[in-house]
Amino acid sequence: MRVPAALVPGPRGPGRVLPATLGLLALGAAALLIVPLVGLVLRTPWSQAHQIVTSPAFVAALRLSLVCSLAALAVSTLLGVPLAWVLARRQFWGKTLLRALCVLPMVLPPVVGGVALLLAFGRRGVVGGPLFDATGFSLPFTTAGVVLAEVFVAMPFLVVTVEAALRAMDRRYEDAAATLGASRWTVFRRVTLPLVGPALGAGMALCWARALGEFGATITFAGNLPGRTQTMPLAVYLQLETDPRVAFLLSLVLLVISVTVLVALRQRYLTVG
Amino acid sequence: MTLRADLVLTLGRLHLVVALEAGPGEVVAVLGPNGAGKTTVLRALAGLVPLTAGRVELDGRVLDEPARGVRVPPEHREVGVVFQDYLLFPHLSVVDNVAFGLRARGVPRARARERALQELERVKLRDLGGAAPRSLSGGQAQRVALARALATDPALLLLDEPLSALDAEARTAIRRELREHLDAFAGPCLLVTHEPLEAMALADRLVVLEGGRVTQVGSPSEVGRRPRSRWAAELVGLNFYRGSASGTAVALRDGGALITADGATDAERGEVLLVVHPRAVTLHRERPSGTARNVWRGMVDGLEARGDRVRVTVTGEIDMVSEVTAAAVAELDLGRGGAVWIAVKATEVERYPA
Repeated sequence: MRVPAALVPGPRGPGRVLPATLGLLALGAAALLIVPLVGLVLRTPWSQAHQIVTSPAFVAALRLSLVCSLAALAVSTLLGVPLAWVLARRQFWGKTLLRALCVLPMVLPPVVGGVALLLAFGRRGVVGGPLFDATGFSLPFTTAGVVLAEVFVAMPFLVVTVEAALRAMDRRYEDAAATLGASRWTVFRRVTLPLVGPALGAGMALCWARALGEFGATITFAGNLPGRTQTMPLAVYLQLETDPRVAFLLSLVLLVISVTVLVALRQRYLTVG
Repeated sequence: MTLRADLVLTLGRLHLVVALEAGPGEVVAVLGPNGAGKTTVLRALAGLVPLTAGRVELDGRVLDEPARGVRVPPEHREVGVVFQDYLLFPHLSVVDNVAFGLRARGVPRARARERALQELERVKLRDLGGAAPRSLSGGQAQRVALARALATDPALLLLDEPLSALDAEARTAIRRELREHLDAFAGPCLLVTHEPLEAMALADRLVVLEGGRVTQVGSPSEVGRRPRSRWAAELVGLNFYRGSASGTAVALRDGGALITADGATDAERGEVLLVVHPRAVTLHRERPSGTARNVWRGMVDGLEARGDRVRVTVTGEIDMVSEVTAAAVAELDLGRGGAVWIAVKATEVERYPA
């Protein structure tokens, strides 16, 4: 078959221009992602760093963030792994809908999540109302409220990661364990969990990183009380007004943590494969 | 220690109706083509697939009987399974793999490991106790899987294609070793395979399974000499025909007729099976004038080398495979194909009731 000459890419034809255009656009995209981070590192007040990181405002925010995000991680793992198992292994009516609802917080604007939490667990909320009437306890504006907001936003990351691993794993290992006399629980504990261990680790890292950075749902549902509900992201936002240097350093800490998580997950996200 | 099983179940497009029995120390091989339901038989016996009907009984204890609502879960069956790819737990060391069953039964760690090391000793792998399963060769993994299955003293041993994951070189040695271990096992043992050699070498009795049904049960030599299905006949390399006999003549179902030596009495009428060994089939370019009772013309369809012999497929009124020497191929110039005369002596046609 003969190809019309005009369609054959010449040395200066569209075939040459296209890679160059794509390259430029890619460069722009990379710059867009990298320049802000460079700016953050360059403008960090290194000379006063020691004084700032020991200031009460900084320490309080850091401590609260660590406590809340680790608590959220614990709750997410304890509840999220069973949820992932049910979604991966059980067949029941409405499962697709359940999965959709359970991962919805991943794409939901966090502030909407905060409003939803308020309407559910607020002092006059669907669940929060009766709870308050019965016990006098109310979640909003408490540290427990922060944990709840973080779980709401972060647990889906753990659930989808673990569920995918449970689906992908060779279930015949579980059969082998059963024929060796292992009860369902032993099979889960000694075979299933270890086999999805790497995925569980990745899911936990993602979940923790997401909880640590949580802002929208937290500020909406739990408010911004220093020492009680003011986590690092909230403190960054507030300190930009009062003491920007604290905000810069807090931001840098969050950046370092994010990089650390990414490196820990390099097998999953940094390896080209 | 006896296994009595009547398995009835449907799984996807497979309808399985299989009756099996295996006595103490007996090794039964379920032999069948891919998709015949061999693995499903094992999974059903292990309790990993539910029966729709039937019954599984081991040492007088009913393990499965849907009609009476009995279904013992796999972990309470006392059945040791060696899976096809061995399925050693990748996150546990070799010794922990072998100790897994005992640990699951609540045996303390130290004692379970001690027993596991004994089992490894039996398969001559004690030194590899600390190794990771992925560092093992196929043959070693197979022995570890066997040790793991035997460590819990099962009442029944099941093996799924125990040698198929091994390369041909390792197979011979491992097969001989496996045979020793199976002989030492006191309970009934069932292995499934699609390899006739594996089945013949390891088993005391064969069960041929095709399309979810048992087509033949017999000793390896019986199945080898008088196969009851085309698949089994091809496995052992025999020409196989069904036909109806009247006297010494048998009209074949697919056309043509063969004269047999048996059947001189009138009582031997009716449906029969015939097998002819390819070595007993002679080929000629000219019409042979010897004593052979069966002589007909056919076309050479294909040649296949088998060691120093050549299997020649000849199509005609009766399709038949003949096994000749390479010298004969040259002499008759079979390579160019064309018409040949086929001759089979009546005494070479083995005949038995269908």
